[in-house]
This record gives sequence, structure tokens and C-alpha cells, in this order.
Amino acid sequence: MKTEGNMITDWLNQNRNPEIDSFIEKNLAITEKVRVAMEQKGWKSQDLAKAMDKNPSEVSKWLTGMHNLTLKSIIKMETALGIDLIHTEPIKEYEYVYLGLFNNKSDLLLKANDYEQTSEVQQYDIAM
Amino acid sequence: MNNFAEIILVQRYNKVSYYSVLINEDISLFRKFFNKHSIENKEKFYHIMAWIEKIGDKVGAYETYFRNEANNGDARALPPVGVDNKPTYIEINQLTNEEQNSSNDLRLYCMRANESVVFLFNGDIKTAETAQECYNVKTHFELANKLTKLIDQAIIQKEIKWNSNFTDIIVEDDFILEWD
Repeated sequence: MKTEGNMITDWLNQNRNPEIDSFIEKNLAITEKVRVAMEQKGWKSQDLAKAMDKNPSEVSKWLTGMHNLTLKSIIKMETALGIDLIHTEPIKEYEYVYLGLFNNKSDLLLKANDYEQTSEVQQYDIAM
Repeated sequence: MNNFAEIILVQRYNKVSYYSVLINEDISLFRKFFNKHSIENKEKFYHIMAWIEKIGDKVGAYETYFRNEANNGDARALPPVGVDNKPTYIEINQLTNEEQNSSNDLRLYCMRANESVVFLFNGDIKTAETAQECYNVKTHFELANKLTKLIDQAIIQKEIKWNSNFTDIIVEDDFILEWD
């Protein structure tokens, strides 16, 4: 069979558009999660629409993978399917910090000073 | 029989193999689409090509990713369904210089044989509500439907065969599609 080679990838590589690539990558990641979650539940897009109280044609558009999904519609799908579509880092209200106590503090300071001096000497030796 | 077409491999990805057809020994239908729109509608074309690559490489050609514009055949079009399918394509509004959502009106007609095999034909900018009413795409749409029917028949008659796990097709080198 005749072949066109790798014409699609070759052209894309010569004309890369990171913004469109990123849009497609992220949109596809979300719609794939929805598609797989629906498959696991045995749902069609009509079932998802019903669970969200939405028009089936509108939901079909959401699921094409090219629709510019709003945060509101993403959350509606998350709620209906019981899954997380977007992971965000929780906002830290406070952070635990371990406070230790060093005994023989003067001994440790001596060791630290000694280390710095040694390092300087070593750096000088290497530079020579 | 006045016309004949030969099947050609466009590109094989991890999850999808894309094919096209050479009609009457001309260049392939997809090559015609490629040659014209990679220059005349570069950004819209890029969006469709990037989708073809991503679907092909990472996901598979699931039904949901194709716009159904079948007439009497089983032809599909990229980008997928939705008149308000914003933003199949995002552009900058030149008047307001604000980003706006705009539907991608560039159509590439294709036949999705299954999740692993897709035939890419030709297409153009769609300017009317339906493909039949649009001067630009009407002929591409009708040809896509014609070819889709012929390929379907060839699959049913096992002139085009599936491999053992239905992930690709097997076509003899001398196989041609013929029609009046």
C-alpha cells in the first residue's frame, strides 16, 4: 500500500502552537475522564444530561472534547459522576513546623564553622 | 465504471491508523485538503491536525469526537458536533482585540471505521447551515458519503479485511474502489 509518510506530525512539528496544543491536551484529559466514567457506569450522554438536569444536545457538545468547558459545567459533571475532573492544591490555612531542641549547641556551632573553613580550603585547592 | 480509487495510508499512530484515497491516480483527497488549508486556513487547520494527532496517539477514535453529518453513508466530519461548539477554534477578535470563542467552520470529512481506523477525505470552509446547502463543502460531503458507502461495502464483502484484533485493516496492493 502507498503511504503519505508522517505528513501530519511533520507539519505540526514545523508549525507548533503551544497554546492550542495545551488547550487540546487539557480538554482531552477532561473529556476522556468523563467518557471513561460514563462507560464504567454504563451511561450514555443522555443519562449524564438527565443526572445534571440539562439538555442532551448541550451535554453532547460538552463531550466532544473541543468545547470550551466552564468551571460550572465541569463541577456539574463531577457531581453527577462522583469523580474529580480537576485536581487543585488545597489552600494552606496553617502549616505544622517541627521545633527540635539541640543539646551541646556550642559543639554543633564549632563543627559547622569547621566545615565552612574546610570547604573554603578545599575550593581553593581545587581552583589551584 | 468511470471512477476508481486506491486506498493510501496517511499516518499510523499508537491508537489510530489514518487512511485516505487516491481517485483516478490523482493525489490523495487528504493531500488536497492538506495542501490547500495548511496555507489558506492555517490556524483552523492546525487545530484539526492537532486533534487528529492527539486522538491518534493517546485516546482512539471514539464516536463522541466526530461530528455526524451522514447523508446516506456514514461520513463524519471534524471538528465534532455542535453549531455552538465553541471553541473548536479560538481566535482574536480583530475589532475588539479580545479573545472570543468561535466555532471552527473548517470541515474535514472522514469515515470512522472503528476506534482504530479512520479514512480522511477532503473538506473546506462550511458557510451554510447544512453541508448540502453549502457551495464550498457540498461536493466534498457528497463524495465522502459515496466513498464511505463503497468502503463499507468492501468491508462487508471482505475485500477490505480486519486484522485479528480489529486494530487495523488489511488491503491488497491491487485493490481499488470503483463507481460510475
